[in-house]
Amino acid sequence: MRWGVVLSMTVLAVVLIGYEWPRLKKQPRKDKLVFLSLILIAWTLSLFDLPNIPGPTTMVQTLFKPFAILLE
Amino acid sequence: MLEKGKISASQMGMMLFLAVVASGVMSIPGITGKYAHNDLWLSPIWAALMGTVTVWIAHRLHCMYPEKTSVQYSEEVVGKVAGKAIGFLFIFFYLHLSGFVVRSYAEFIVQNFLHKTPISVVIITMIFVCTWAVRAGIEVIGRTAQLFFPVFLIPVLFIPLLLNNMKLDYLFPMLEHGLVPSIKGALVPGGWLSEMFLLSFLLPYVRNQEKGKSSALYAVIGVTLLLTMINFFILFVLGKQIGDFLFPVMVAFRYISVAEFFENMESLVMAIWILGMFVKISIFYYVTVLGASQWFRMSDYRSLVLPIGFFVGLFSFWSFPNFNTGLYFDIYAFPFYGPLIQTVLPLFLLIIAALRKKGQSQNQNLTAAKHK
Repeated sequence: MRWGVVLSMTVLAVVLIGYEWPRLKKQPRKDKLVFLSLILIAWTLSLFDLPNIPGPTTMVQTLFKPFAILLE
Repeated sequence: MLEKGKISASQMGMMLFLAVVASGVMSIPGITGKYAHNDLWLSPIWAALMGTVTVWIAHRLHCMYPEKTSVQYSEEVVGKVAGKAIGFLFIFFYLHLSGFVVRSYAEFIVQNFLHKTPISVVIITMIFVCTWAVRAGIEVIGRTAQLFFPVFLIPVLFIPLLLNNMKLDYLFPMLEHGLVPSIKGALVPGGWLSEMFLLSFLLPYVRNQEKGKSSALYAVIGVTLLLTMINFFILFVLGKQIGDFLFPVMVAFRYISVAEFFENMESLVMAIWILGMFVKISIFYYVTVLGASQWFRMSDYRSLVLPIGFFVGLFSFWSFPNFNTGLYFDIYAFPFYGPLIQTVLPLFLLIIAALRKKGQSQNQNLTAAKHK
């Protein structure tokens, strides 16, 4: 585990929530829920070793492999 | 409406111009050169077709559903569930691209200039600045684009400084292997020009609607002209070796040396290019935030700026693990992926929407006839 990354990402998430909360307080409940869940998803994603697991680019490349022959 | 700001049609044109050309001007010529060799000046002209078609589709859809962005009207066109799925596709596409663009910007800076800086520093500073622009809203991004647009064109004035090094002979033999190489070379700029679909997120906020289409077409023409000119320029300076360089434009600008005084112009070119990239990233980031907040039906898009910024940072590592993967994606996947999401999918939406409108008016005619 890369504890430095985990720690800094946790700090980042907390800072983002802390920064936005005073303004978010007045917003409807749904906005708060979406905001918090997005931050939570992003934080969870940041725990993975992202560059080394297949991502959107890998997916798109596999999808369009048949077309790539056109350019080779 | 989530966004209360308004921009003018000319600001929108400049935004689109910078959104397409800012990253394109550095990475397209090298890739085009690989396929089209000395016919590379022809490729942007083919690619302009893609841009024009995309603008036409986005504008027709806008006329049918004014004041709505593509995330909103796709729900009306194909129904709630399918519409949500298409909207998600758009948002994911722009989120993926935002991360990708940020990373390719950072890779370019680190490879060419700041060799010892950790790449995460370049990425985080850029996202940080863009977050502020996006929070300020579309008006501020529009004005930034208007301000940076003339500055972005300054490097064009440096081109005459290299007149001595240019050889017109490199232009010949023209079309040696027929039109096919230049069309192959046009696929990559075609992918870039399909980004004109960003139009569908900007048009609802344009003050003088009637000029929206023409200024978007001017943006297509501007992109084509600039790319053609840059391609001529690097062809005349570098000749047949263009395909060997990753960033031939930077190499060409490095050649500039007037009276041993005007030298190292590439650092100035880079500084100006960063301004363009800032506008480009802000627009992509803004479109993602706006689309997502419409998708979730939130009351204010500003609440999503920080979480999406977090995501853009993550995607810049996730969608672009290393330089080679990024280059491979740019060459072999994006020329098909970009137009599929931004031109073909909207075309289907347009066809369905047109059929629906036709069916509606026929129904009305029928009921009117029955009442007679």
